[in-house]
Amino acid sequence: MHPLSIVFLIIGVPAAVLLLYVFVRGSGGLRRYVITRIGLTIPMIFILASLVFLVLRIIPGDPVTSSLGPKGSPELKARLRAELGLEDPLIVQYGRFLGDVVTLDFGRSLVGGQRRIVDEMGERFPATLELVIPGTILALGIGLLFGTYAAAHRRRAPDYALRMYGVVIYSMPIFWLGLLFQLVFAVKLGWFPVAGRIDAVIGTTVERTTNMLLVDTLISGNWAAFRSVLRHLVLPAVTLGLILSGVFLRLTRINVIETLQQDYVTAARARGIRERVVVYRHALKNAMIPVITLIGLQVAILLAGAVLTETVFAWPGMGRYLVERISVRDYTAVQSVITMFALFVALISLFVDILYSLLDPRVRY
Amino acid sequence: MSEVIYSIRGLSVEYATRSGAVRAVDGVDLDIRRGEILGLVGESGCGKSTLGKAMMRMITPPGRIVTGELWFEGQDLMQLSERKMRAIRGGRIGMVFQDPMTSLNPVQRIVDHLTETIRTHEPSVTEAAARARAEELVERLGIRRERLDDYPHQLSGGMRQRVMISLALALRAGLVIADEPTTSLDVIVEAKFLDLLRELRDEFDLTIVLITHNIGVVAEVADRVAVMYAGRLAELGDVLEVFGEPRHPYTQGLLQAVPNIELDGAELYQMQGSPPSLLDPPPGCRFHPRCPEAMPICSAETPAFQSVSGEHLAACWLYQEHPEVVADA
Amino acid sequence: MTEAPPEVPVWRTDLERIGLVRRILRARRWYRADWWFVAISSVLVAGFVVLALVPGVFAPHDPREQVGPRLLAPGEAPELEALVVPAGSGVNELADLVSEERIKVGVVQGTPSSEAVRDAAARVTERLRADGGDERLRIRVVRHETLDEALRGLEAGETVAVVGSSSELARVLDDHPGLVMVGPVDGEGAVAGRGFPLGTNQLGQDVLSRLIWGTRVAFLIGFASALLSLAAGLPLGLIAGYVGGKTDRVMSLVMDSLYAFPGLILAIAITAVLGPSIFNVIVAIAVVYVPTYYRIVRGQALSVKEELYVEAARSLGATNRDILRRYVYPNVIPSVAIIFSVNVADAILTGAGLSFLGLGLPPDTPDWGIDLARGQENIQNAWWLITFPGLAVMSVVLAFTMMGEGLMEIFNPKLRDR
Repeated sequence: MHPLSIVFLIIGVPAAVLLLYVFVRGSGGLRRYVITRIGLTIPMIFILASLVFLVLRIIPGDPVTSSLGPKGSPELKARLRAELGLEDPLIVQYGRFLGDVVTLDFGRSLVGGQRRIVDEMGERFPATLELVIPGTILALGIGLLFGTYAAAHRRRAPDYALRMYGVVIYSMPIFWLGLLFQLVFAVKLGWFPVAGRIDAVIGTTVERTTNMLLVDTLISGNWAAFRSVLRHLVLPAVTLGLILSGVFLRLTRINVIETLQQDYVTAARARGIRERVVVYRHALKNAMIPVITLIGLQVAILLAGAVLTETVFAWPGMGRYLVERISVRDYTAVQSVITMFALFVALISLFVDILYSLLDPRVRY
Repeated sequence: MSEVIYSIRGLSVEYATRSGAVRAVDGVDLDIRRGEILGLVGESGCGKSTLGKAMMRMITPPGRIVTGELWFEGQDLMQLSERKMRAIRGGRIGMVFQDPMTSLNPVQRIVDHLTETIRTHEPSVTEAAARARAEELVERLGIRRERLDDYPHQLSGGMRQRVMISLALALRAGLVIADEPTTSLDVIVEAKFLDLLRELRDEFDLTIVLITHNIGVVAEVADRVAVMYAGRLAELGDVLEVFGEPRHPYTQGLLQAVPNIELDGAELYQMQGSPPSLLDPPPGCRFHPRCPEAMPICSAETPAFQSVSGEHLAACWLYQEHPEVVADA
Repeated sequence: MTEAPPEVPVWRTDLERIGLVRRILRARRWYRADWWFVAISSVLVAGFVVLALVPGVFAPHDPREQVGPRLLAPGEAPELEALVVPAGSGVNELADLVSEERIKVGVVQGTPSSEAVRDAAARVTERLRADGGDERLRIRVVRHETLDEALRGLEAGETVAVVGSSSELARVLDDHPGLVMVGPVDGEGAVAGRGFPLGTNQLGQDVLSRLIWGTRVAFLIGFASALLSLAAGLPLGLIAGYVGGKTDRVMSLVMDSLYAFPGLILAIAITAVLGPSIFNVIVAIAVVYVPTYYRIVRGQALSVKEELYVEAARSLGATNRDILRRYVYPNVIPSVAIIFSVNVADAILTGAGLSFLGLGLPPDTPDWGIDLARGQENIQNAWWLITFPGLAVMSVVLAFTMMGEGLMEIFNPKLRDR
């Protein structure tokens, strides 16, 4: 089983359900749209991967020299270079790289133990997901609810207060918020652990199947471990969630304000429908659609936030892996991680776009 | 003379703008009689839509009702709480909007529009019962019940407009305010729509206020007509009388401007000047800068809105006693 | 204000005919809170710009020098280091200990005393040299576990003097009747007491000074990268929007892909490749924001292109360049201005993130991100090391974001009340 199969499952199952729905119950127009959209994703991934490749090949010198430095003999370096295929013409390297991307086999780490990169990713990607998913849910929850509330009370105190919140939280560096939480809740108050994913001792008792510890501990009934993971998850997830909530709040607010200016909202009020119903059921439902699609864009911010949050809380995910590998100059790993990120972003935005087309009946021409 | 079901007294509505306050409706008195179709006509910006919205207290900031009384079914609507007002909206007074495409929620099915309205006002009605009522209602209006499960964009323009009427009638409101209901419809659909309005008025004992800038529509279907200009009423009376023998120079100009098939090559009449800025309206009678029969008093004092002959009212010094006053420049 | 020819329906308000200042004041009544947003943030931004331009004027110390004891809390006065000698030795100040050999001075290990005495000795030597002598004061620091031990060592003659914190000495000295505290080790008065209002970090550097100097780095990164992005994105967007066709499609595909990609990670990749230098950081961040300008400008160009007045102008013989210059360009400016302020804010955030991760800037640069990373190492006992740099980042970013937000509410026609 490919080490990244868990990740594929998590993304793949909802995607499959979605696609099934589209092709079984969708109209011809919808199907055509989805196929076109999928078709567009391929060049996008291609471009991103190529960009990654290009960027990392601009290095004067080569990965081997940079990673080994003065340590290796010229013969060793030459051999490594040949092994890594760095002696081949650029086109060949490019082709091989693309092949790697397609088969998702990124070779081995340049530095530190020759581990297979996909194995490392297999352990770390689920960790990142475990952080990112609760964070997004929190951010969406806060953003949608309070964004709508702000829009409904536009130009009055709650609106300004919430806009202030949105702006302030957006201006905070995510790693600073994390550090503050660490300081206050972990160091000073001691309510939560300072860093890490699970208590080290308890961690050895966990049977890893999915590498998503919350799931694994639930499956094996390891309650102590479950609680430990949960406790470690709180601060980083809340950090991520709060920062993102600012973005969602502002987006929701603007969309709901626009929606509230629509004629059908006035018409609904003219039928005597209560304001709260008008705002939260009619307006929000309509406004939510563009907001949800913008989640696709926020994935980028999410990943960036994950990198920083993982560093602050020493959470062993893909973000931290990236930073680690850069500091030891393991360029193969760096290249692979960034490519994986690009893939992930492309796929998520594809998913969200298709979801949007399902939610908005107007798109099914 | 049938009874008055809605009485507007001294209504003034203002909008706050960056450059100052704009008085969109200025001191309007109007009685609406049971069972009539009252046409409310005027150019764009004359305040007729604002008046319509004000009748349901649907003026939102930056606009507000500055003063006035709105007597409906024995109560002054201005004194009611928002909750009671909501019961009246949709329940006792219905509104039909201009553009049915944008007035219907694009992500809500037609049936849900109706059942939601019904159940908001009568919470004890079950979903099934509400749906049954909705089916009956739309069929009466000429829409097949299967279409109820469609979304607004799947219906034609005429059908959407009929859905709008059905929404206004869902709770057997006695008064319907139609704000430019035919402006977005083509001529044939418009004709059918007007026929429908008449039928419904007879069948359900409705009173309809028809707000439009299209004189032809009013002439065809209205019983009485009120002409508005720059936020005030210019003329009011039986439609045949007002159009047959218009008293106010503005009404006369309006009627002359209507293209007539018998024009026979003559030039189209165009009223000189343009509607005044409501930020800084002309003193006295607001029409006087454009009036071919303006007198000195017209720019000095506002004429009263009073009877010219019987039930035919106009606001013009031509028909009123006026002292000899020299207008200041 | 760009002067548009009278027939061009460039976005304008009714107020435009009045003078600029009166327009601004009038706008206050109408836009109320948003006006205040923009006003306050502009003032703040101006303040920060001043700090960034002349940090030396405001910063009390050199940010890279160790100017004080380590890990001093904000407002805490540095412990006065006092010189203790046997009673009756005739020594009144450090300079009296000058001799041919190294003199042994006892200190408690892990305290600022050893640096204090070394610094003091260096100053003494300087003074002696300045007076024309060629003597030197050389110290050998003898470390002890506790102050008591140090004092006993002094009594035993292992050392000729002890230097320790005056408050501690005051407590303990009664147990050592043969010893006397003669005064601050510095003799003629301590270091010019500018103090450390925000404390010092683990290298003894003044936090406040580093904060102020950090403004310069942050602004340099923020503005330079934003300008670079603008310079690249604006023309590209104009061309794509205006020319359209295949050029547009290809460029848009590339830009969309870039846009969707996490900015920080792209910047990480580029700095990892190019190496640590402020210039590389600027370039890396600039690349990230090019698509944003591209999209906005392209969108505006597209919509203006469709307008009737452009068609009219073209039928009157206007060239593409004329149209771009007179119709498209002025309409693009408000959006670009908003994007720019938000861009700077974002660039500063990304820059801080990069340096927090240890990428991009040389490690001795006075930079907020670097300070935060170092601060985390001492989070257990020095809360001020992470609080203030983070506050600084937030304030600057907040100022720019508020400006952008406020401008957006004012300029965005879709949000106006109908």
